[in-house]
Amino acid sequence: MQIREVFDRKRFVFLDGGMGTQLQARGLQPGQKPELAALEMPEVLTAIHTDYANAGADILLANTFGANAKKLTGCGHTVEEVVSASIACARKAAETTGACVALDIGPLGELLVPAGTLAFEDAYNEFAQVIRAGAAAGADLVFLETMTDLYELKAAILAARENCNLPVFTSMSFESRGRTFTGCTVESYAVTAAGLGADAVGINCSLGPKEILPFAQRLCRSVPAGVPVFVKPNAGLPNPDGSYNLDPDEFAAEMKEYAAIGVSMVGGCCGTTPAFIARLHETFSPLTPADKIPIRRSCLCTPVRFVEVNGITVVGERINPTGKKRLQQALRDGDSAYPCTQAVAQAEAGAQVLDVNAGLPGIDEAATLEQLVKDLQAVTDLPLQLDSSNPEALSRALRIYNGKPIVNSVNGEPETLEKILPLCKKYGAAVVGLALDKGGIPPTAEGRFAIAQRIVAAANAAGIPNEDIYIDCLTLTASAQQEGAVQTLEALSRCKRELGVRTVLGVSNISFGLPCRGYLNTTFLTMAMSAGLDLAIMNPNTPEMMAAVRAYRVLTSQDLQSTDYVAAYADVQIQTTQTSKSAATVAEVGAAAPGGDALFEAVRRGLKAEARAAADAALTMREPLDVVNVSLIPALDAVGDGFEKGTVFLPQLLQAATAAQAAFEAIKAKIAASGQAQGSKGKIVIATVKGDVHDIGKNIVRVILENYGYDVLDLGRDVDPERVVEAVRQTGAKLVGLSALMTTTVPNMQATIEALHAAHLDCKVMVGGAVLTPDYARDIGADYYCKDAKASADLAKQLLG
Amino acid sequence: MERRKPAAIDRATALRYMGASGWTPDAATAVLLDKAEQTVLTAAAPRAVYRRLPRTALPLENCGSDLTRHLQGCDEVLLLAATLGAEVDKLLRRMELTDIALAAAADALASVLLEQVCDELENEIRAQIEAQGVFMTGRYAPGYGDCPLELNDALCLAADTVRGCGLAVTPQHLLTPRKSTTAILGIADHPVTGTRAGCATCHLKETCSFRKRGTTCFTQD
Repeated sequence: MQIREVFDRKRFVFLDGGMGTQLQARGLQPGQKPELAALEMPEVLTAIHTDYANAGADILLANTFGANAKKLTGCGHTVEEVVSASIACARKAAETTGACVALDIGPLGELLVPAGTLAFEDAYNEFAQVIRAGAAAGADLVFLETMTDLYELKAAILAARENCNLPVFTSMSFESRGRTFTGCTVESYAVTAAGLGADAVGINCSLGPKEILPFAQRLCRSVPAGVPVFVKPNAGLPNPDGSYNLDPDEFAAEMKEYAAIGVSMVGGCCGTTPAFIARLHETFSPLTPADKIPIRRSCLCTPVRFVEVNGITVVGERINPTGKKRLQQALRDGDSAYPCTQAVAQAEAGAQVLDVNAGLPGIDEAATLEQLVKDLQAVTDLPLQLDSSNPEALSRALRIYNGKPIVNSVNGEPETLEKILPLCKKYGAAVVGLALDKGGIPPTAEGRFAIAQRIVAAANAAGIPNEDIYIDCLTLTASAQQEGAVQTLEALSRCKRELGVRTVLGVSNISFGLPCRGYLNTTFLTMAMSAGLDLAIMNPNTPEMMAAVRAYRVLTSQDLQSTDYVAAYADVQIQTTQTSKSAATVAEVGAAAPGGDALFEAVRRGLKAEARAAADAALTMREPLDVVNVSLIPALDAVGDGFEKGTVFLPQLLQAATAAQAAFEAIKAKIAASGQAQGSKGKIVIATVKGDVHDIGKNIVRVILENYGYDVLDLGRDVDPERVVEAVRQTGAKLVGLSALMTTTVPNMQATIEALHAAHLDCKVMVGGAVLTPDYARDIGADYYCKDAKASADLAKQLLG
Repeated sequence: MERRKPAAIDRATALRYMGASGWTPDAATAVLLDKAEQTVLTAAAPRAVYRRLPRTALPLENCGSDLTRHLQGCDEVLLLAATLGAEVDKLLRRMELTDIALAAAADALASVLLEQVCDELENEIRAQIEAQGVFMTGRYAPGYGDCPLELNDALCLAADTVRGCGLAVTPQHLLTPRKSTTAILGIADHPVTGTRAGCATCHLKETCSFRKRGTTCFTQD
């Protein structure tokens, strides 16, 4: 078969059937590595391939599913030996029928960060090694299959695209709920794989033909017309004894449905044999594949969240350091907790996409944006808008993003278009085009429309379709250019109507320099939505703006039966009071003054909202440091003492800590606003050591130490010793906290302590974690053992004051 | 295979995991536990896989005396692995950022949920096994007593957990997703009960808070 027949879709192309089950049936012993069949039982392997070729298979998958360095460790053979021997067996069988030979690649068998500890780059390198070996051995195509993690699949696709010129087929396995083990949806898989340049996409394993059918239909609708779709189901569902419930006739009968949905390649997976493929061949040979009719839609995604941009969609703007002192500090320190908290809060407030910007003078934007994207995608399911015009930063962030993101932004300048559009195309991203160029922002709608036209033409020429282009007609500040608002909206309507692209606006710019900005923002947002705005970049924590969005969705029949609106507001009472600013402080002081310490009580009783309100009130009358020392810490001490005596239980201690955290947010905001240096009691670096993913204990320690006023830099989990050394060197921290939960990761704790000593850093090390004991801590060179978070706070007090 | 979620998670056990054994939660903590339970049950996608093999299929020779004692008289083993899936991990990471009290409650409840999923599966398997006239011990997990965590590698390979339930072992022999577990059960032609690791070889025997209170982690109170 010529590989082009796959893409012609004039006839059905046949894939082969199960390999593992065939090897077992023909003599593979339990405990024997199936990957080594080409070396240990080549005749048997070739015979299996030959049987599939004779049954009608056009593409034979070489026995290279697990032929990666990790799985071959200790077997005495290199990846190259195993791959070339395996390809040779398949090639020998293919010679008689002219079938194509695929380099077959399955999952690496380890989870990628953040679910596991395998770095994306390391996964890429493992795949690249196999792919180079396969290409050298003469494979006709690369077949990535049985994938369950979209991130791992992305690493494999990139490795294939960058290390060979062969066509790349991809296949994921879905469970009955229509998601992979890692929660990936069919649509997220489809747009991400196709966006990264997969030449054919499919579904294999896990289920039988009947169960996979609806997923295959969705897949056919979600990939572009030029990308063929295939299926390789199991021989039905497993029986209790491990066999499968369909015979070749039943399998072929169930498969027949696929002829009508746009699938153009068929084969089998676990439990299928040459007899299954022969029956499949008989059934499908007389048929031609049905037309595949893709839906053209604008979408962004992460594995678990597929966001179709069809109607107003909210992009949270808070992760942008411009004008935000706390975020600036966090980015400078490499503290991921703060931006991650912002991400979670915006998601809870109703954001559907998150803008991420790491542009801050004096920091390495490319490295920071890359790290920020890694950190954010560990905690949020929302697609990201990568906000930078730095090609290096975009390239690094696009590479490690898991899903289909949007790039913000290009403009009408040829240089940016030339640099950034190819990146968007390579990584399958959507793109924002700003309607401005070297001459600035044209004052008229006509001028902005003309630039938008140029951007769309350039994007199309780079291979980016209209549904992935979002034009920003630019919001001007009403206080400076009052007539600009109308021009913006006029240009927006024209772009949408005449260019057939999506539109985006940063809404809040409209109100700079004017009081009660919420009024202007909300009104402008409403006007823009009515003009056809698709993406609103805004602060989702502003209730009136989210209300305008939700109300608009009701009034344009997008929110059917007002379901979302009711869900959001059924339990809400609106209170709008306009108070004179000059009178406000006096009134609040009066309300908070009466006897007792409201903040102390709220923290002691673990009441989060009350603690925040009490802190806000207290800060109107007292200095931040006084609030911390007189109310907050005594309350924490009281709870901590109770915990030690056994009268307060851990859940209560932690609720008090959470309440104190809320109060601290108010205090930090006050200090940041006043521009004073932070009243820190000292810096502490904490981390869960390399290889360990269990970090709740470390996170409890962080919260408690922060509550006591220490400046904690939390490096996260699975942290390299060098990163700890670097952080201590940079911050000058005098105390380092390390945690490890398991016996197998304590050696990395010891390695981290040794690295700190080797670097001659003047710091003390405290350690904790389930398997540690005071003796063990001393043995590995730690200065202190802390049995719990309270003990670490006591120690910090003793050492740092 | 996908496994059913129980309607409720056993709170008494979760409180025990949080060091609050036998405590009747105050009103605020009860609300906290409600919220944590509901979100954990929503996020969890329990899956499990098991495989019955001859005892010799696993390299059990150098896995300590505790496991040997547990498998005394057994010719076959049943390998079992279960996970709540990656979404629970992400949920916990989110909560650890925003509400550490909720996170700790959810973490403990998720551990209990995982045990409940395993208990239910073990009971089903036990009924099938006993119907065949053979007998099975309870579950024993690598990492307990003097049985090394390294055994997870061979166990997960033999049970094909990556393909069967999305559970993978890290180079440090930890299970990922985080809320996952493995177990070995012995199968024999005569009644067997297996033996718990007990405290003698436990890493935590010096610092164990249960022992300080005169009880053990495996005593049901």
